[in-house]
Amino acid sequence: MRARSSLLLLLPGLAFLLVGFLLPAVAMLFAPPGVGFAQVLERMATMLTDPYDLGIIWRTVRIGLIVTALCVVLGFPIASLLARSQSRWAGVLLALAIFPLLLSNVVRTFGWLVVLGSNGVIGQVLTGLGIVEEAPQLLYTELAIVLGLVQLFLPLAVITCYSAVAQVDPGLDEAARGLGASRTRAFWTILVPLSLPGIVVAATLVFAGSVTAYTTPYLLGGSSQRLLSTQLFSYASVTVDWAAASATAIVMTVLVFLVSGISTLAGRKGATA
Amino acid sequence: MSAVLSRTAKLRHPVAGTLAVLGYVVMIVPILFVVATAFTAGSTLRFPPDGLSLRWFGEAVAYSPFLEAVVSSLELAVLATGLALLLGVPVTLAIHRGRLPGKDLLEGLFLSPLVVPELVVGLALYQQLMIGLRLDNFTTLLLGHTALLLPYAVRVTGASLALADPALEEAARGLGASPLRAFVTVTLPMLRPGLISAGLLGFVTSFNNVPLSLLLQTRDFRTLPPAMLDYVQQSYDPMVAAASTLVLAATVVVAVVAERTVGFAKIFGGINR
Repeated sequence: MRARSSLLLLLPGLAFLLVGFLLPAVAMLFAPPGVGFAQVLERMATMLTDPYDLGIIWRTVRIGLIVTALCVVLGFPIASLLARSQSRWAGVLLALAIFPLLLSNVVRTFGWLVVLGSNGVIGQVLTGLGIVEEAPQLLYTELAIVLGLVQLFLPLAVITCYSAVAQVDPGLDEAARGLGASRTRAFWTILVPLSLPGIVVAATLVFAGSVTAYTTPYLLGGSSQRLLSTQLFSYASVTVDWAAASATAIVMTVLVFLVSGISTLAGRKGATA
Repeated sequence: MSAVLSRTAKLRHPVAGTLAVLGYVVMIVPILFVVATAFTAGSTLRFPPDGLSLRWFGEAVAYSPFLEAVVSSLELAVLATGLALLLGVPVTLAIHRGRLPGKDLLEGLFLSPLVVPELVVGLALYQQLMIGLRLDNFTTLLLGHTALLLPYAVRVTGASLALADPALEEAARGLGASPLRAFVTVTLPMLRPGLISAGLLGFVTSFNNVPLSLLLQTRDFRTLPPAMLDYVQQSYDPMVAAASTLVLAATVVVAVVAERTVGFAKIFGGINR
């Protein structure tokens, strides 16, 4: 194909990408209407010193880290059991783990309102058994957000870890076992290190997803557990404070880029080591 | 089914098996409770439900804001997916078959909407296109969703194209076929699995989207997930559980179609790599 015809094929897509994504994003981040970039920077400086704003950033990062850890700890075992299973159920279970990726986040998160709400499953069970007098406040807590986000991103962790485990030669596990290693030892010395690049990718995707998710903190965190995403929405639509909205958007984007960058570097180092 | 997993796993991997079961509980159980509460005869969202009825399904189907939102969401998802494929496939061809400098950079550019937080993109489009350029919200949503789906169109069809042998197209050209004819009769059939995967992924992503669409809602054109979020915030009755169950049922149909055409795991395997 000649360079000119390739360029013609490229141009319509490029135009859409520029108008529907790149140009507005750059303009919003660096030159919001009626506000100079100096004001955005100023607002960002306040954010990074103000205890309230810092609290929101820290809560977002903390929840992101907890969710990432939980998704790896729960997702890797699922992936490794399914990838190594001979059972005909393994395919069904894998489909069951992937299916939620197709399902609306609103529907998935709504389930936690039913489970954690004041008339919800957990409250009813606890009061019904006489363990507590009154149903504990579970909704609008950090715990609720963590549970909701783990549910949301676990399928992503499972499928990413699954392709990593599937690429590890099962002969290696067997060789280690044959040489006298216990199952536990073979798991930690063979399977985990060899799937590590995949685990890093899974962790990055989950973290980036968690610190930018909106539906879950909105429904399960309420106004008392603000995260960067819910805060950004309120700056944009309630207070219409463009400087603060852009500053929050920059913090969020930098956070995601930083983690993706670190994980890419770690991946490269792992590949050369 | 998780009983099967735990039984086969616990015998040999007690810790991993337990974690895996816990993972499945977090992923699946809240969704089951949504379904259970949707069939309540009572008027509060509680568990166990007060009697059984289909009353809330009737209300959900008759609730005109949801009905209009479903039509809007379908319209937007079909148009955005079609447009993204129409723009994305030529881009893929140019990247994989053309002689262009900086192909990696180009591909990276087209994947970039996946990296920037969607909420940030939504804010950018709201501020720059809807307020700044006074575009109506449908046009803005269509632009934004198309740009968001371009990465899927470019990468997933690219994976199919990478597997296809360029010699076949050259043979067709050598036998006298025009470039268009060679594309339609040789390249397009080879792209089929990629097109179906990208189409399904794109449709589902657009239909379920919250963060990008959230700020771009108006009374004239609303999509379903934000409409459901609004409803949950205002009233706490089982109608949303019924609506969620209907969305779940529709998603199961999509999943079955996905499994029958290209296979479930393949669809999601492609995008993370």
